[in-house]
Amino acid sequence: MLNWIDQRTGFVTMAKDFLIEDIPGGASYWYVFGSATLFAMILQIATGIFLTFFYAPSANTAWESTQAIYNNPFQHFVLSMHYWGASAMISLVFLHLLQVVVWGAYKSPREIQWIVGVLLLLVTMVLGLTGYLLPWDMNAYFASQVAINLTLTMPVVGNFIQTFTQDGTTMGTLTINRFFGLHVWLMPAALVALVGAHLAIFRHNGPAGPPVEDPRPLKPGRFWPDQMFMDTVASFVIFLIIIGLSFIAPPGLDAKADPTQSQFVPYPAWYFLDLFGLLNLVPGQFEIVGAIIIPGIATTILVLLPWIDRSTTRTFGSRKPILWTLTISMAIILGLTFWSQAGIAAKEAASSYKPVDGSKIVAPAAPTTVSAAPGAVDGSKVYAANCSSCHGATGQGTPGAFPPLAGNPVVQGPVAKVTAIVSGGLTAPITVLGKPYHGTMPAWKSSLKPAEIDAVVGYIRTLK
Amino acid sequence: MSNDHRGPSAYDDPGTPEEVTRRTFMANATLTLGGIIGLGLAIPIVGSLLPKTGTGGGTWTPLDAAGWKELQASTDKPVKIDFVLKNKDAYLPEDASPESVWGVKVDVDKFKKLRPDIYDAKGGDVPYPAVNMGFAIFSPICPHLGCRFNYDDSAGKFLCPCHGSQFGPEGDHLAGPADRGLDPLPLREQSGAAEITWIRYAPTVPDRIVVSYTS
Repeated sequence: MLNWIDQRTGFVTMAKDFLIEDIPGGASYWYVFGSATLFAMILQIATGIFLTFFYAPSANTAWESTQAIYNNPFQHFVLSMHYWGASAMISLVFLHLLQVVVWGAYKSPREIQWIVGVLLLLVTMVLGLTGYLLPWDMNAYFASQVAINLTLTMPVVGNFIQTFTQDGTTMGTLTINRFFGLHVWLMPAALVALVGAHLAIFRHNGPAGPPVEDPRPLKPGRFWPDQMFMDTVASFVIFLIIIGLSFIAPPGLDAKADPTQSQFVPYPAWYFLDLFGLLNLVPGQFEIVGAIIIPGIATTILVLLPWIDRSTTRTFGSRKPILWTLTISMAIILGLTFWSQAGIAAKEAASSYKPVDGSKIVAPAAPTTVSAAPGAVDGSKVYAANCSSCHGATGQGTPGAFPPLAGNPVVQGPVAKVTAIVSGGLTAPITVLGKPYHGTMPAWKSSLKPAEIDAVVGYIRTLK
Repeated sequence: MSNDHRGPSAYDDPGTPEEVTRRTFMANATLTLGGIIGLGLAIPIVGSLLPKTGTGGGTWTPLDAAGWKELQASTDKPVKIDFVLKNKDAYLPEDASPESVWGVKVDVDKFKKLRPDIYDAKGGDVPYPAVNMGFAIFSPICPHLGCRFNYDDSAGKFLCPCHGSQFGPEGDHLAGPADRGLDPLPLREQSGAAEITWIRYAPTVPDRIVVSYTS
């Protein structure tokens, strides 16, 4: 049977090619970081696709639909998994990168594999940043506003990126759509393409193995099932941690974004706290140093690491400068992270803004007439000015000439028909509720704006 | 494999000179056609994402009457004045949202001394009087990264909760990462009501670059 399928598709051979791979020195739990990261990515894609079934990206629905997700136990659990999965993915990407640096695994011939890996780190961070805005609660709004405005410090492209991500004069529906497109389509597509390249190059180069002086002829080991088992155990542990955290510490939803709130202290996701601390370290006029130059230099050093680290072997003894630099950098990153966290906690304690449980906020009742929406055309005013002289102040009509609108089945019928009558008028005599009317209804489309016609149609349908 | 009908590879045969020429043509034509497809996609995609320019000159919008009275009665303590900001973005329906500005009664000479970022800076000058009728109106948006600042009564300063920028009652930059003082907005009185023009300036830069005018 398998043979029959393989002859027609080649799938079995492909699966074998994929699973049969020599692991020099045998399977090891040291090799699970890459596959665990891949697992976290798949988990993020699965939970993320699920969330798009319930999330509605616009200023009037983003927070509301997120609230609905919070109030459904299953949806809330999947959202929690997506939230903790993001932290897990960032952590695993970082651990994976850390191990590659410690082992010097980026050395020839793995330079391109390494660069693709650095790009994957960046794409993962952009995914974290763009997903942060989507719930549209207080912190989502203000933290993203800061992030969007920070792009302005970038020379040349800053203005374009700021305008592209914000769109519109202030943050709103247009911004949410840009972030949604980035978070749900562009960045995941880039991520999957880069992971594909990363894995293909990995299969081409083979595993680097541990950093030993003189690689003795290592005993060959198997990927399937030996390494695959360990990878699965690691992914399972990650899964248990994510599930556990989703149960114990699901993320909270604050009140809906209120741009006029001036006491709110925005805070970044934990993996941006180091960059946040860097910003606070440099004086304002040198913002570009903290926002662009230092992170830019750090990224450039990462990309060029295979050429900066010139030792011929991967042993720790020959790579002391690199390992010391790594240790110091890690200390700085951790220091900045904890310093920022303490600073935010102090500011939050001093602020009069207290977070609320957004999932419990009850939305105000829907307006009873269309005129209640702020900024909308008031249908009752349009009616009073144009219609009431014939149809009466309360829609009671004028016997024999103009039909009543209150209780009129045509008025309560399809909106399109009512709109057509108001726009195009009526000249032929009609019968309403068994009584004839001979008056002429003018075509209002020449004197009323479409919004006014819509408003007045909405209004007359409320007359009783 | 038994059902593999493939013969020797076509690539083992270098081909006649005509075939070589034809293949060169086809290879180049493939790249060209692919390039045209790419360009045909890139032009509308990039074009639709380019920022639109020309946001208009802005219009006057009335301030809340009670807030304006409070400011007129104030001494030198800043007053938060509410108003309704109408905004229209792209296809979206016009949106009216509560907004506010800070007003402060100032002495013009003192103000001019405290605010070189308005009167002496190269890109800081604003094409309207920053003080009118003895009042300065400040945008409530921190010129650092766009957060909302507050007035701290006890300290007598404007404080931004985000990154700790501090400003004096005249909007002069005292401390923190902001690159300039608070942004003044145009003010006028029209038949008894105070009106302002809502202008957003680019954050994080010392110069006042108009990002948008909203009525």
